[in-house]
Amino acid sequence: MSFRQRLRDLPDNLRLAGLSAWRGRERGLAVVAGVFLASLVITTVLAYGVGLSQIFFAESLENEPFDAKIEFSDKPGNNITGRTNDTQIMVNVCSELMERPEIADCSLVFGRQGIHGKGFFNRDFIAAQPLEIKSVTSINGTWQNYDGIYPELLDGGPPISNRRSVRLLGPGAFDGELAERLSKNIINGEGSWPTPEQANSTRAVIIPASVANQANAEVGDVLESITFSVTTDRADITDGLDEDDCQGKLEAAENEFQYCKINMIVTNLTIHGIYEEWDIGNPTLAPNPFFITWTALEDAQRKVLFDNDHVYLGVAIDRTMMPTQSTSEAEDWLEALGTDIESQNYTESGIELFYFDIVGGTITFLNIFLGLIQAFDYIIMIPIVVLSLAVLIYGLVLSLEQRRREIAIHRVIGASSERLRGMILLELAVMSSIAWFAGYLLALNLVPLVLDAVGFMEFRPGEFKVNPTLGWVSTLVTLLATIGLALIFGRGRTRRFLDIEIDEGVRRTTVKREPRVWLHWVMFLIGCLALLESWLESSKVMEDGILTNFFIDGLVLIFGPFLLWIGGALLLARLGALGPKFAEFFFGRTRLLKDVRRGLKGSGSAESVNQLATIMLLTLSIVTLAAVQGYTGTLVDERTASAEVGADLSVTMTVRMNESEMRTFLLGVVSEDSAVEVERNMEMTSVPSILVRENSSNDQIQAFVVLESAEDVLHWDEQAIPGTDIDDVLSDIQSGGFTAGEDAAYDLGLWGSGRRGSDDSSDILLDSGDERSEKLEFVYLELEPINSEDEQQLDLEQMLEDYPFQNNWEGVDSKNENWSERDFGLTNMFGTTWDNVSLAGANLSGSVISNSTFKDVDLTGADLTNTVIAFSQFENVTMDGADLTGMFGFINLSDFSLNGATCPNGLPFGSTSCAVSQIPPPLVATLLGSNTDISYNVTKHEFTSRYLGVHFWIPGQSTSTLNPAIIIGESTWHELVGNDSANNIVSATWYFDLGSFAHDSDGDDLRALRATLEADPMVVSASDWSTAHREVERDGGLIFGTPGLLSLQFVVASVAAVASSFVFLSLVLTQRQKELAILQAIGASPNQIIRLVLFEIIAIVAMSMILGIILGIGLAMSFNGFFSIFGFIFQIFGGSSTPIERELIWPWTQLALVSAAVFAAVLIALLVTTRRTLKADLASVLKGE
Amino acid sequence: MAVLQVIDLHKSFGTGSDRLEVLKGIDLSIERGELVALMGPSGCGKSTLLNIIGGLLAADSGTIILQEREYGLKGPSSVVDVRRSKVGWIFQDFHLIEHLSAMDNVVLALEIAGMERDEAEKRAASAIDRVGLSDRADHIPDQLSGGQQQRVAIARAIAGDRPVLLADEPTGNLDISSRQEVLALFKDLCHDSEDPISLLLVTHDPELAAQADRMLLLTDGRTNASDIRSAWNIGGEEE
Repeated sequence: MSFRQRLRDLPDNLRLAGLSAWRGRERGLAVVAGVFLASLVITTVLAYGVGLSQIFFAESLENEPFDAKIEFSDKPGNNITGRTNDTQIMVNVCSELMERPEIADCSLVFGRQGIHGKGFFNRDFIAAQPLEIKSVTSINGTWQNYDGIYPELLDGGPPISNRRSVRLLGPGAFDGELAERLSKNIINGEGSWPTPEQANSTRAVIIPASVANQANAEVGDVLESITFSVTTDRADITDGLDEDDCQGKLEAAENEFQYCKINMIVTNLTIHGIYEEWDIGNPTLAPNPFFITWTALEDAQRKVLFDNDHVYLGVAIDRTMMPTQSTSEAEDWLEALGTDIESQNYTESGIELFYFDIVGGTITFLNIFLGLIQAFDYIIMIPIVVLSLAVLIYGLVLSLEQRRREIAIHRVIGASSERLRGMILLELAVMSSIAWFAGYLLALNLVPLVLDAVGFMEFRPGEFKVNPTLGWVSTLVTLLATIGLALIFGRGRTRRFLDIEIDEGVRRTTVKREPRVWLHWVMFLIGCLALLESWLESSKVMEDGILTNFFIDGLVLIFGPFLLWIGGALLLARLGALGPKFAEFFFGRTRLLKDVRRGLKGSGSAESVNQLATIMLLTLSIVTLAAVQGYTGTLVDERTASAEVGADLSVTMTVRMNESEMRTFLLGVVSEDSAVEVERNMEMTSVPSILVRENSSNDQIQAFVVLESAEDVLHWDEQAIPGTDIDDVLSDIQSGGFTAGEDAAYDLGLWGSGRRGSDDSSDILLDSGDERSEKLEFVYLELEPINSEDEQQLDLEQMLEDYPFQNNWEGVDSKNENWSERDFGLTNMFGTTWDNVSLAGANLSGSVISNSTFKDVDLTGADLTNTVIAFSQFENVTMDGADLTGMFGFINLSDFSLNGATCPNGLPFGSTSCAVSQIPPPLVATLLGSNTDISYNVTKHEFTSRYLGVHFWIPGQSTSTLNPAIIIGESTWHELVGNDSANNIVSATWYFDLGSFAHDSDGDDLRALRATLEADPMVVSASDWSTAHREVERDGGLIFGTPGLLSLQFVVASVAAVASSFVFLSLVLTQRQKELAILQAIGASPNQIIRLVLFEIIAIVAMSMILGIILGIGLAMSFNGFFSIFGFIFQIFGGSSTPIERELIWPWTQLALVSAAVFAAVLIALLVTTRRTLKADLASVLKGE
Repeated sequence: MAVLQVIDLHKSFGTGSDRLEVLKGIDLSIERGELVALMGPSGCGKSTLLNIIGGLLAADSGTIILQEREYGLKGPSSVVDVRRSKVGWIFQDFHLIEHLSAMDNVVLALEIAGMERDEAEKRAASAIDRVGLSDRADHIPDQLSGGQQQRVAIARAIAGDRPVLLADEPTGNLDISSRQEVLALFKDLCHDSEDPISLLLVTHDPELAAQADRMLLLTDGRTNASDIRSAWNIGGEEE
């Protein structure tokens, strides 16, 4: 047949194929279901990637209000023609740019120097300097301590600058789009983003919240002056600058440049607003600066800034015009815009511009992380894709099987095999096209919902609307993977039918290909190995597992779960198909089955029954896998947030407060609307600690006290405590027991550290009869400092109050932070915790460190002159090169590394024995009287406590803090410190349970409260559960979007289980219609037929379901290693750490519900199809008509 | 005395102008131990009549009396007892359950009828023995020849002591020697001195029909001929 004729016949053939497909819709249903499912899943996965990139993109745009930094084309001096130093001309350039539809807003900005070259890694990008703040003066606040250091800048990106900067904005930034973007971050109640007039008249400055907090600044405060540096010259540090040529000061920077910087001062500014800082992302513009109106500058100052290249145009592009379908499209669009802007001259002065694209840079950073997430998400979607393809193929096989006779008859009447194949394939194409399209459309509409998932089956509309569409290549992939596959399989199967002898085809089917059981076994066994390996490694029975080769171990852990799944499903399906045998065994002799049991013999051997069992196994195992991993991830997120924050809200104050003071303070901060509700529901607690020692030892151990109020307020986790019953542990602690961290257990010679053999550790609560539950005697020395001259008791509290502190860091808990070079001079460091912190080169001169913990702290080169240290713990602290002159208090310096340090007596380490001075430094001495010799009144308290087991953390406190510590109860503490102290707890850090307020409006109220607290000068830090939870939703138990995919997997697999049971049962029973008719002909009643079918199919389905869930459990366990690996990578990228282990949670209720639904569907499907079979004309069926 | 009596049986298919009356008042009776061949041209209603007698189809009017059991107008679900204990079916395609052995095929029919397992197995063994297949009792249908399969079907039909067997073209799919065997078996069953069975046999095969005790000819919806020549419209002579 010629091509043209074929083409001419195509519409007719299509119509006929459509009609035929409609007539045979029942048998085609399985194919339609398979293609639909495959199309839905594959399209969702692909569109999800697109949506995810859109969200990430939209979100990252929010991190920087400016979209581009438009500079002069050339550096100063190179090309005088393209530049100007006239403010008005640049304002005119802005106006010209804004005539372009793409530019929504533009403002002249004085700030970071020009870069004049593309890319993040060119030297100019690192070299260009911002306007660094040197000092601020004001009669308000405590600005004298503010030094402008902003160390986080160096953590987050290239070493450009480590100081806070100023960005001087023109009127363009105080109205229009830029003002709108900039005003978004102004904290509610902390001023506003000024209008151009306000900016002008008040000489407005808008400062970041952390600076406001540090300097105790408030809106309305007048800053008399802000001094910032202007970079006038630079050279490689190796070449150096000539001091004579520099009018200001020469500075060497970490980026290996030497700069000449002059100071510039703006005066008489008013704080108009305080803003919540943006994430430090793209380093093109110096992040989170002081925003000042440039009208505060004098003309001469502006000229200097022009001349030294500190000028650019801050631009907001119309983001609605930017294609956001994919990041690559956006990149192309931005590239074109930049090139176009650069290709022109502006104003009559012929200004030439260079377009430095901030958005495009963001995209580059973004794509790296996004690629990783997508790789992970594609991998976890493999099972559901395989499932959908399995449904497709099985459905195809079953439906074609039913046409075997029809095909043979067509051949008998003379149809050519080519024509027959064409007929079937065309019909198949029509059906699968419709199914593909339906799946494709549904998927595109489903993806936004998937991306809204914040937990397993929990959804919260995201901030950004996405509209994921697929490019033609991706669409082609979905087409090929669905319709293409259907046609390829259809073609193969049809050819096989056509090859069968006509005679055999007409009569009945016999040829069956034996399944490759050996292959299934191989897959299954490798999968089991992965399961065992994953279990051994996670349960710590054998930390390295059986496979010691790293490469093979990795391969098995990544691919093993998939092999376990497929091999397991194929093997177990054979077992599932034996269900009727079990039914016969158990019910064969009962009245239920006695008369028809023989009919069950050999029934499981049918291919269709085997396929039904396989599909049930595949679907139920995916349902289990998705539910277990989804729930586990969601719970890991919640537990991580609970462990980090400790309660609904935790607040650390600059001063220590008692409970009623703290309560009054908090209620004063809460908005009036909520105050009543908060007051009614509020419960609060703190976690005091004391130093004790075991009777026979000299080492002191920190003992944290769990107050009775802490039992309800803190969010306890069973991983934190010994055993799994939180109530039991807390009640044992309150009745006088204690728990110990692993280090403490080891130090105290107790069981549980895991360092004395494999029996030395277990997560259990020891009962009183257990020999491991030793009773230890502890000593608590109550020290009262006294002046030995007059034996007068010293009031330490009083002393601290009178001490001329300039900073208050009381109660601060700092972990993994870099405070090097910071000024902590004259700082109150009472009750602080420092863990893995660098204080290298920091100034701690004259500070008072008391009741504090230092662990893994770098004090290299620090200034510790006249520092007072007492009642504190130090572990792995380096003081090399530090100056300890005049250090006073109680600390054993022999524990420290002191190479090159200056000892308290002022002599270098090595030449003298280094010990803390017994003579108080001048500041303390004045408080104590000049000739003071201090001694202590020591009261010795002893107590005996029973060991309960190993703890890991207290909510809100880190594992590293609790590892070397013990936890005691409130009653024990009362005995030690006395009721007076115990009843009037004074603490800087308090934890709150806020009842329903914490969950109202989805945690928004709680987050708002925390933001207000953070901006309060009285507050050092505040954290709330909702914010912490939202942060870990991204990089905690499951990476962003994964809960949605797992939810999708769960729903699709559940629906597939129900739908395929319907479709497949219908097909299976249609195939068996004749057998059932024979049984009726030889005397079986409808009741007997129904019983026979019910027992047979239900036995198979139930058996397969149980096996499916068991397989799913194995799968979830073997996948856990894989999830842990990726979780770890995401945490590294996300920068968060969690002590929560990925303990699997088994959501039995959900699994039971799905299983019940599948079971009910099977029952209904059975009854419907069996009834229909029974109603069929027996005589016709037996005749084969 | 007649084991089976069919009185004024009517059956038509379709509705309105498409209505086709196939059986227009059939009257017949079969004695105990009688082998009756039912012949007639294709589409004359032989199988329909057999299906109604066998309880697979309901008639529009008329009565069937089989050992005092009156039926004919109700659907298959209401005459389970007839199929279970009164009539045994033998089909052209044998219609054995494919995944069951010969023995199990026979036992299943008995158990369905409510017989205890031991008794059913004993009876089935004897029935299989009677059709001469003792050595093939454990074979599944696929492992048996066409003739053997038909003998299993016969064993299944006779094992339950049913008084009447209905055979629809029982030799249609068999070769000549198998056909002879099956026919001989039928004769044996009907003429058994102790427990003779009645057999109504639908066939197109004149040779087979000629071996019957009596022949009924179904034309124009009635059983009005017993002459094989007229049944095949040879010579045009009608009774």
